[in-house]
Amino acid sequence: MRGRSLALALLFIASPLGAQNSGDGLALGRRMLAEDNPGELWIDRGKQLFHEKRGPKKASLEQCDFGLGPGKLEGAAVRLPRYFPDADKVQDLESRLLTCMVELQGFKREELVRTAISPPLSNGSDIEALALYITSRSNGMKVNVSLTHPKEREMYKAGEYLFHRRSGQTDFACVTCHGEPEKRIRLQDLVDMTDKKQIQEVASSWPAYRGAHFVVRTMQWRLYDCFWQMRLPELGYASDVSIALTTYLHRQGNGAVVRVPGFKR
Amino acid sequence: MKNHMKWTLACAAASTILGCATYPDPASTREAAEKMVSHDFSAPAPGMLRRLSQDKSQQLCSKIGETKLTQEEAAEVVQLARASIRYPASGKLIGDWKAGEKLAHDGAGDRIQRGQLETRKGNGGLCQNCHALAPGEINVGNVGPSLTGYGAKRGNSEEVAKFTYEKIYNAWTYFPCSKMPRLGATGHLTPEQIVHLVAYLVDPQSPLNGK
Repeated sequence: MRGRSLALALLFIASPLGAQNSGDGLALGRRMLAEDNPGELWIDRGKQLFHEKRGPKKASLEQCDFGLGPGKLEGAAVRLPRYFPDADKVQDLESRLLTCMVELQGFKREELVRTAISPPLSNGSDIEALALYITSRSNGMKVNVSLTHPKEREMYKAGEYLFHRRSGQTDFACVTCHGEPEKRIRLQDLVDMTDKKQIQEVASSWPAYRGAHFVVRTMQWRLYDCFWQMRLPELGYASDVSIALTTYLHRQGNGAVVRVPGFKR
Repeated sequence: MKNHMKWTLACAAASTILGCATYPDPASTREAAEKMVSHDFSAPAPGMLRRLSQDKSQQLCSKIGETKLTQEEAAEVVQLARASIRYPASGKLIGDWKAGEKLAHDGAGDRIQRGQLETRKGNGGLCQNCHALAPGEINVGNVGPSLTGYGAKRGNSEEVAKFTYEKIYNAWTYFPCSKMPRLGATGHLTPEQIVHLVAYLVDPQSPLNGK
């Protein structure tokens, strides 16, 4: 783990995010912490949860199809979100996971959604651990979101529209804070999502260990939290808005090499 | 369903990538995305869902990519902004810089989490998030321009106070579709709070205008 972590740390230093930092020392601190990413612990837990017979139907997730066939996880996450014929919907990793946990294992959807995002300082949710484990099986592979199905293209365009859609008492859209290089909210660096390199970092580093919360966070959490800060109502977990935005962002991140868990402040 | 049937046929016939890349058209995208917005959010009280609906100016200011605001649109945004401005009942536009200083460094208020609205006396001014304030302050953002020495450069005349008040109340009066929230017009801040922010910016005693 040491060797890989060091390589990871070096990668961070060489990244444009590292280079554009305000020189406040915080980024250096984050990089140092990332050398022993506690998020690694969630991977084993996710693996166990994946293979264990659970839920009212006492079934594992081994029959869950993430797009490459039942139980095939290697390289599945890099192609998400994608269109799933059985659901007749474009789904991201987390909404696909919900479908499987409901249909294969018999869990109640509302209950899963209610607990999907764990409180800070907690042990984390099952979905967070599963999402990290499944994504980790694409580590080292390139993000490759395709828009060949018309519904994928519709989701992508809806995501682009939503990314630019201003509303609420702050008049914010995503692009208000994430459309220019080298910007900060107070000391927090903002990712410029109109920059290829930086959007690739977004598409390849979630789920991530969030230092301030001491838990692993997923893309669904990241989006939910942005809407909270924008003073908008609460974004539904695995909602179409979230899937549209994720499709838009991940597609632009195509080519990025996945390395999870990421490490965030 | 019907839409993508048509698309598949069009693409097969066109045999060019260009024709397919424009699917779906902007009107269908807008319709689909707005439908998502109306279904996908929740709030402790139904009235709060209104925060999601766009007013005319927000619609005009949501251009995608390199698309620019036309001159007519910019004029409309400015006109709507000008018409939105309300002044405090007292008529006094320069309040207490100390209250303004506190507000400028307050980034909280009105957020919704786990079915709860953040309840407090008033919303924070959010200034520190995006603007450099008093000299030497480090924990400040840079999305907006530095405000350090704002009053030292401009003075605190009636004219300056009025411009500053209007700029905070509705930034789009002077800069249509600027990133800056229309803090008064959207109801995030009250006129009484804004006059304190004006004081923090223009008062010669304010630390923002110090060395």
